[in-house]
Amino acid sequence: MISKVISGNEAVALGVKLSRVKVIAIYPITPQTYIIEELAAMRDKGELDAEVIRVESEHSAMAAVYGAASAGVRVYTATASQGLLYMHEMIWWVAGSRIPIVMTVGTRAVGAPWNIWNEHTDFMSERDSGWLMAFASTPQEALDLTIQAFKISEDERVFLPMMVGMDGFILSHTKTRVYIPSQEEVDSFLPSRKQPYVLDPEDPVDIGNMFQPIDYMKLRHSMHLAILNSKEVIREIGKEYEKKVVPVGSYSSLNESYKLDDAEYAIVSMGAWSLDAMQVVDELRNMGVKIGLYRIRYIRPWDEEDIKRKLGDKDGILVFDRSVSFGRGGHLYLELKATLPDVNIKGIVTGLGGVAIGKDVISSLTRKFIEGKTSDEWFYPSEVEKVELRNPRYIK
Amino acid sequence: MSLGIRDILNKPRLLPGTSACPGCPENIALKSISMALGENAVFIVVAGCSSIIQGMGPKSTYNYPVLNIAFAAGPAAAAGMAKAFKMRNKDIKPVVWAGDGGTADIGFASLSGAAERNDNILYICVDNEAYMNTGGHRSGSTPFGARTASTPGGKKENKKDLPLIMMAHHIPYVATASVGYLHDLMEKVKKARSIEGFTYIQVLTPDPYGWMFDPSKTAEVGKLAVQTCYWPLIEYENGKLTISQESMHCLDKRTRKPIEEFLKIQGRYKGVSQEVVKGLEEYIEKMWERIKSIYEGKVIL
Ligand code: SF4
Repeated sequence: MISKVISGNEAVALGVKLSRVKVIAIYPITPQTYIIEELAAMRDKGELDAEVIRVESEHSAMAAVYGAASAGVRVYTATASQGLLYMHEMIWWVAGSRIPIVMTVGTRAVGAPWNIWNEHTDFMSERDSGWLMAFASTPQEALDLTIQAFKISEDERVFLPMMVGMDGFILSHTKTRVYIPSQEEVDSFLPSRKQPYVLDPEDPVDIGNMFQPIDYMKLRHSMHLAILNSKEVIREIGKEYEKKVVPVGSYSSLNESYKLDDAEYAIVSMGAWSLDAMQVVDELRNMGVKIGLYRIRYIRPWDEEDIKRKLGDKDGILVFDRSVSFGRGGHLYLELKATLPDVNIKGIVTGLGGVAIGKDVISSLTRKFIEGKTSDEWFYPSEVEKVELRNPRYIK
Repeated sequence: MSLGIRDILNKPRLLPGTSACPGCPENIALKSISMALGENAVFIVVAGCSSIIQGMGPKSTYNYPVLNIAFAAGPAAAAGMAKAFKMRNKDIKPVVWAGDGGTADIGFASLSGAAERNDNILYICVDNEAYMNTGGHRSGSTPFGARTASTPGGKKENKKDLPLIMMAHHIPYVATASVGYLHDLMEKVKKARSIEGFTYIQVLTPDPYGWMFDPSKTAEVGKLAVQTCYWPLIEYENGKLTISQESMHCLDKRTRKPIEEFLKIQGRYKGVSQEVVKGLEEYIEKMWERIKSIYEGKVIL
């Protein structure tokens, strides 16, 4: 293991290389582009024993890795924003075929209007597709989760694809110190690929043909069970990763708790700003407020039991969402409300389209919440009156 | 390349009990093509009649590995697959099986991308000139004047010239075929299989239901299309265009069978005006002028 100051994108590219991926489909979209450029460069220099396909769209990127994966090799691709939405159809196709695949999403706002900055709406829009969905909060975690994702996705209790999200620019482009495991360490952790269906003329299988309603539904149910089973798998694999690969970070649980045991209040968040939230917790603790943080690392599977155990007894929970289901609120908020219907939970949607949210904003919103001064407004900042549509006109 | 009888009598590739309509041209094409391909075949089936013809999962009437896939994704999936087989040291050239809608319309970007990259795949477009599996709607490959569910008054535009568009991608091999001439089709498939890189074959598959003719006449309609020169049988290899034996007579306008013979057998052209007939004649004339100029080396693609 060595340590280097690198960006989230570089960290992910190294994770992919160390996972001995065989086919990579690449198509550029900001802010993940550097990952695939890096992989193409590694391949050019002969450091990466993989075929790189320069496809003509994200729809084709997912189709290409799907085709390669069904032919029996480990594959990878990355995308963001519009690209992820453009892939949407193939994302479902892969999950329904129970084919293991790993993808990175460098999260970014979705148009219109154009916006290249960070938010989580692109990522959250794939919540129901049957993929496992982890979200990193540091470049280190992005690397670690990428390597783990191959093993989780290829576990026979799971056999579903997995995407790893990371905040666009905030993590993808910011350099921090990252511990990079050695090839031997990763090899000892990640065995060669396993998958349920392989296309081979010796043993012909037919993937994805027409199914009767009852068989189709059985398959859908099996995906549901696989997502539930994956919780145990993730914990097991996380522990094994800690033992065999890298001693920094803890992966023995799906989500992370910080100072929650004796807390009366809790902040819930996902992604890079969770680290700011951690500082806010420390700051408020110094002021005598008993508060902790629950950081969501896995949106799918959703660790319902752990959330109930850790958050069920709190006096108040404030959820920070960087994505929104219009007219309903943030996605994490809705999930938490469904998990803990009787707890006092309040959700804030903020940071959309890259609105800068620092420690101070998180701190002041949290304080307001604890003082019971939050209004019913979901959005921060709440400036909707400033969006002026033009005068309507009748069209002849 | 000649095709001996021993080459094709291998184990059946299409098992009994497909859910195809009687007289289905895709069934005929699939059977011949898969026999010509031999043992090392893997198919990618793009949304269309062939997604249904294989029957209800988990069983299948296709006796080789098949990856069924969404409409626009065939060529990209095949590209990925070709690379995967290469990494596994397997001599398999994936075959994309797509209809004319999947090829001319929704899948066109993916097709063009794979062709431009010269991915090692065999793309077969089974051209029944409409979205037959979805109720017979017009596609970019529906010919002028044909009535479809979405052009009840007859299509206003000409057929998209896919084989020429594919030639303009400078891929190693482009061919056309018809289910009226299976031997020719199988030879072309065998040849395309043996060539490294992107190979494209467009097979005219007259559809008894969409074209409205008696299901016993599929092969006959396929022959008439060629004899009237509505459908050319050509091959394009390494920049050189050749005209297959069955289409040689089309070079001379006087030896072409009248287009009416092809039209009158089909319900989709029933009672059309002389204008439509003239429009189709013009289309044929222009198409053959183009083919001729490439054939004679006057136009270099
Ligand atoms: S509609 Fe045409 S192509 Fe489709 S199954 Fe029937 S005959 Fe075959």
